[in-house]
Amino acid sequence: MEATVKDQVVSAEKPQLEAPPGWQPVIMGILCNWCSYAGSDLTGTSRTQYPPNIRIIRVPCSSRVDPWFIIKSLQTTADGVLVSGCHPGDCHYITGNYYARRRFLVTKKLLNFVGLHEDRVQFSWVSAAEGAKFAQVVAKVTGAIRKLGPLHLYKKENRSQ
Amino acid sequence: MDYTNQIREIAARLLSENRIDVFIGYRKTGFDENHLPAFITHPNATGDLVFTEKSGFNLTNYLKFEHTRNKRVGLVVKGCDSRALNLMLTENQVKRDHIYIVGIACEGVVNEQGEKAQNCLECVMPDPVVHDEILGVPSGKRDYQANSDVKELWQKDLAERSRFFEEVFESCIRCNACRHSCPLCYCAKCCIDQETSTLYHGANTTSSAFHALMTWSLHLAGRCVDCRNCEKACPSHLPLHLLHKQNEQVIHEHFQGHLAGMVAQDRGAFYKYNLNDPDDFIL
Repeated sequence: MEATVKDQVVSAEKPQLEAPPGWQPVIMGILCNWCSYAGSDLTGTSRTQYPPNIRIIRVPCSSRVDPWFIIKSLQTTADGVLVSGCHPGDCHYITGNYYARRRFLVTKKLLNFVGLHEDRVQFSWVSAAEGAKFAQVVAKVTGAIRKLGPLHLYKKENRSQ
Repeated sequence: MDYTNQIREIAARLLSENRIDVFIGYRKTGFDENHLPAFITHPNATGDLVFTEKSGFNLTNYLKFEHTRNKRVGLVVKGCDSRALNLMLTENQVKRDHIYIVGIACEGVVNEQGEKAQNCLECVMPDPVVHDEILGVPSGKRDYQANSDVKELWQKDLAERSRFFEEVFESCIRCNACRHSCPLCYCAKCCIDQETSTLYHGANTTSSAFHALMTWSLHLAGRCVDCRNCEKACPSHLPLHLLHKQNEQVIHEHFQGHLAGMVAQDRGAFYKYNLNDPDDFIL
């Protein structure tokens, strides 16, 4: 009994585990107010199509993103996380994204170390003028998560779906 | 490595001169195990103090508690402890005038099995980086070595690593001893204890341990000094050093060889940046 449960959980990171029919990935998008959020707005206003699987949270700056937010998202509902901010040098607060970049690297490596696929957590720089790039990034991230399937590893048991 | 007599003399001198209110050192227990912390407040009671290679605990942890916080404290520090103390001083948790630091040029402590501890074999700084007086002969800074356990785990594939860490997180009983024993975890209210968090909602599940330990280790990334107080305190004997060493390794490799607490007024790796930090993982 115990062994089978464990095998299921582990194989969640392997693509052969079939997703339930009609399953749609849930991606948590944490976007900085000044660049990426405006960029996603531009994507919408210019009527560019992108996958609707992303749930967007607006934060003041990418350096506002505590690694805790990413862990909490993965533990509760999200199958993947996308954090996006201004390009280096373009930060509204001058240096915020440089601090964020250091944190993202360590977070990504640690999550991979404990057994989550590296595509589960993605980071991007999207400026307010790059509406097309935002659509591409979301499509790429959604495609990768769709290939990986639903995330069961370390998931809270009482997941409401 | 036996500085018992010197430490007794120093403690008696400081207490009789009324330079400190309490001296924190180590005392022997009735059993053959690691020495426990001792709080000495009277010059006649210094006979309890000992210091040998079994004095493994990091005493700077006790500076964050209320009963020592606003007192003048004398304490014994080894190399790694002094790095933690350096960070506490930098982060304004301790006043330098309030503490008298007896530094030990450390030759390594032993683990529960009586062998030299792993963090001592991989130690980068055995000498105290901050001290008022020093016992023993300093041997200088050593080269950084990657942790062998972390290296071994990276050679396994993703599924094996997730299986390994699932067992680790499964064994966690969420007692938070790791957090309480860490000298750098001094927040009055911890984010992982928030009302909506899993501590109250999910009790000790694999998921809640994942949430707590991962958040904890990432909040200590770039600040952890590898004293292994958390591992000594853990009742489930979890390999907590793996998470910290993994972070430390990434930081050392990519961020100009940063090591926590080596220099006074040097904050953690996440409090500074470099324009040439790695960018290739970003879309």
